[in-house]
Amino acid sequence: MARALTALRGRARWGSPWFAAAVLATGCAHGDRVVVGSKNFTESDLLGEIVAQQIERRTALRVERRFHLGGTFVCHAAITAGQIDLYPEYSGTAYTAVLQHVAIADPAQVRRRVIAEYLERFQLRWLGPFGFDNTFAILVRRADAERHALRRLSDLAAVAPHWRAGFGYEFLERADGFAGLAERYGLHFAAPPTAMDLGLTYRALADGRVDVIAGNSTDGQIAALELVALEDDRHYFPPYEAAPVLRAQTLLAHPELGAALASLEGKITAAEMRRLNALADVEHRDIVDLARAWLREHVP
Amino acid sequence: MSLVAFYGRNAQEVLGLVGQHLYLVALSTGIAIVIGVPLGIWLTRRPAWRGPVLGLANVFQTVPSLALFGFLIPLPFIGGIGATTAIVALVVYALLPIVRNTYVGIAGVDPAVREAGRGMGMTDWQLLTLVELPLGFGVLLAGVRVATVVSVGTATIAAAIGAGGLGVYIFRGVAMVNDTLILAGALPAALMALAADGLLGLAERRLAWRAR
Repeated sequence: MARALTALRGRARWGSPWFAAAVLATGCAHGDRVVVGSKNFTESDLLGEIVAQQIERRTALRVERRFHLGGTFVCHAAITAGQIDLYPEYSGTAYTAVLQHVAIADPAQVRRRVIAEYLERFQLRWLGPFGFDNTFAILVRRADAERHALRRLSDLAAVAPHWRAGFGYEFLERADGFAGLAERYGLHFAAPPTAMDLGLTYRALADGRVDVIAGNSTDGQIAALELVALEDDRHYFPPYEAAPVLRAQTLLAHPELGAALASLEGKITAAEMRRLNALADVEHRDIVDLARAWLREHVP
Repeated sequence: MSLVAFYGRNAQEVLGLVGQHLYLVALSTGIAIVIGVPLGIWLTRRPAWRGPVLGLANVFQTVPSLALFGFLIPLPFIGGIGATTAIVALVVYALLPIVRNTYVGIAGVDPAVREAGRGMGMTDWQLLTLVELPLGFGVLLAGVRVATVVSVGTATIAAAIGAGGLGVYIFRGVAMVNDTLILAGALPAALMALAADGLLGLAERRLAWRAR
């Protein structure tokens, strides 16, 4: 960051308004400002907003929001480059997608290794988890689940040869994504899964264009679109505990952040998260209002 | 992994995606010409419709592609997932430059020339095919050129709806923060856009030369 700032200073001849705008745009923590990021889906935006408002309520820091960044890898690149100071991440995502370990099912071991390796390799701190798990959820339409008596993922292998699947690019590429899932459960679909935008997979499933998609277990859309999540009975997906990840440097400069965020620890249950997601996604309620109401009720 | 090594290892897949990309662009631009040119000509005969039609084409341009795909998925015949939906979206985006340039090309023909044609007893059809279209063709072609070049770029979004094309590498690369993958998709798309622009530019210049 220091180098980028020097480079910008070298171009100060552009005139001071441009210079000021450029410095603002680079958005790293200096002075009394922290930059909160989030990934490009509703739950991450909600968690980001809750974190941002909690910091605003409990500290004198100014918060800049950089929400809806393009996914895990973009957020990770941004936080290691100092473009953002913290964002909500999931332990299993960090373990397999960022640290490139082979997925394991033991939550305690995942948490331990993620905390240690993040600090050592990236100088990033994992704070106390929010209190819920958001694992991948393999989703089917409720009517199909009832017709074929599908409850668990191991029930899926029997119908898969007649079914079509549609997945987002991340799920198709990730180490804990589709290839391993298909192998663990012996899934062979009628055709190779259609690669498409994640948000569009829900619509494609609801409209009968595909029969199986991969969503997230806390998605508000699951109930709204009458979908069913199949149980991961062979424990393929690693645990995905949500927690804030923070630059160690930022925490050193602003220790009050630790105290402010500690009071969020263990406060959000999976049911609570699904409810918030549904309010935002299905009823289109404003994320800022939802976060404010939730904080007032649960973190007085 | 370097880009060259990547292409070496995945040559067959790359060629397949380039083929899909060309197919998407060629078919969608073709359909947009078949719809857009007659529509542009019709507008020169019914000037009152010019505002509403061009306004609508303008509005289509501003609809984000993912939102457009969302609307299209439930529709029969033109919707669903796959190439059809992508082509419908690309046609929608390609219409504006083609309709507008067809209209401008023909409306810009010198009224004196048109009057001379009428004075020679030409029918409306003869006036169109023998006078207006030949004279306005350069401007019309410029619209097709813009539409084609823009389509090459826009066709990368086809990968969001399972229609393949070079966007597959771009989406995959963005999901995995892999610059090589992003470049593997973006570079051939850029070259394709330059080639399309060059070829149609050449056609335009030859026409201008012939017109002289």
